[in-house]
Amino acid sequence: MNGEDSIIDQAATWHVASTDDAMDWDGFTAWLEADPRHRAAYDELALAGSLFDEHRKVLGTVTEPAAPVAAPTTRWRGWAAGALAASLVAGLTLPSLLRDDDQIYSTGTTGRTVTLADGSSVAMAPHSRLTVSGKDGERIALSGGAYFSIRHDPGRSLSISAGPAEISDIGTVFDVQSSGQAVRIGVADGQVSVKFANVFGEPSVVGKGGTLSYEGAGGRVLIRTADTSDIGGWQKGRLSYQDTSLRLVAADLERYAGVNLVVPDTLQGRRFSGTLVIGNGQAALRDLSQLMGLELARDAGHYRLVDRAH
Amino acid sequence: MNGTPNRPAEDTDAPGKGGGLAALFELHRAEIIRFLRARCGDSTQADDLIQELWIKLDRHASGPIANGRAYLFRMANNLVLDSARARQRAMARDRQWLSADDGEDIHPANRADPSLRQDEALAREQEEALVRDAVSALPTGAQRALRLHRFEGLGHAEVANIMGISRSGVEKHLAVAMKNLRASLADCGWFVSVASQVRTDEAGGTPETENGHER
Repeated sequence: MNGEDSIIDQAATWHVASTDDAMDWDGFTAWLEADPRHRAAYDELALAGSLFDEHRKVLGTVTEPAAPVAAPTTRWRGWAAGALAASLVAGLTLPSLLRDDDQIYSTGTTGRTVTLADGSSVAMAPHSRLTVSGKDGERIALSGGAYFSIRHDPGRSLSISAGPAEISDIGTVFDVQSSGQAVRIGVADGQVSVKFANVFGEPSVVGKGGTLSYEGAGGRVLIRTADTSDIGGWQKGRLSYQDTSLRLVAADLERYAGVNLVVPDTLQGRRFSGTLVIGNGQAALRDLSQLMGLELARDAGHYRLVDRAH
Repeated sequence: MNGTPNRPAEDTDAPGKGGGLAALFELHRAEIIRFLRARCGDSTQADDLIQELWIKLDRHASGPIANGRAYLFRMANNLVLDSARARQRAMARDRQWLSADDGEDIHPANRADPSLRQDEALAREQEEALVRDAVSALPTGAQRALRLHRFEGLGHAEVANIMGISRSGVEKHLAVAMKNLRASLADCGWFVSVASQVRTDEAGGTPETENGHER
């Protein structure tokens, strides 16, 4: 039994490693060759992994209530109570963590508009979260999508963090889409400065009609121009893309059209340019697959883009 | 795709197929075949898959790839997984692994798509419930790592960054998550169809299932 357990442990380790770039494929081959049971165990782990992917939505819904904002606060409180001796460190860190006046807005299947203390407004996309903190609500964090109409006030330094990007110098109307490490910004009026964590140098300034996109690790920050009427187009039921990876398009379709589209690894990097109408998720999927020359397969509960080549 | 093409590259198609990846494929063909044989445990399937892999290169995006060799191995590994998943689905369908009693509370309204076969929809519902239970039973750290990695699509290093832990910490969390779901799936006999192929030719030591299907 012990043998079985450790085989499963090893298989789990290999499976986890295989999803990362640093995978040791030679070592993995040797491990598979060493014992046929390794292969069977690995199959089971990999199939379990594929179920996580097929039911990705569940990961979002199950963990949402447990993981976010509330958790760190309570944990730190418990820790602080039990460890008074650590008051030096605690004195420095706790005040900001214990703040209860962070305002958190989150949306489910429909969006909502939030009015900030200074009268600025934020139209939040579905499945998005906005955290407003700081003495004057000057720090905003976004995950998901939002269209900001911010009243310009040179006297205060408002900043919005979205994934790895920090947006500042704001007095404008602009759209932000943030999912994981990917971030896309479009400016409909005025301008913003965007700086990335871990990147030295001057922030990028994006002006009216400008867009900035960063698709995550290994990608580049691209600044382009767009039609201002396309910026924040999701509010009018349209999603417009310029040379955007299918991975992000699929994430958007899930957020805005409520359809679950699986993009196989081999197609994740393919790029799409065009506009999708999101009123009808299935029509949007059909348009996307036709424009990309791909086939749309329907599995139980989700769709999958398939290459026609086989 | 029945033949066992050992050298499909030379004469099959137009030159420049798949660009640099095709050249890399030629360079690493022997290793990838060896990997596929070890991974499938069946050289016929391995040969079919290497052919499929080669065809896929043609359709591959032309953008630069950081580590082409790893990319090819990952593609190969995914092909094996896809076929295992397809086999698992097909056998689950044949086997009707849900008992008849469970079968009576199908809520037609809950079916995502009326054209879905009833048993498939049920299988999917059951899978979803298993995933949900497995996720909620996880410790917070593993849950969070899993969500960031599989739901938000972040790499291990990025997850480590966000969680403020080491990469190997992230990988341990993820391994726990995978093992948990695997254990729940094993408990309800989900793997029988896949595993039976292997188990039968190895003296069938461990009693895998209590419902004793013979295939």
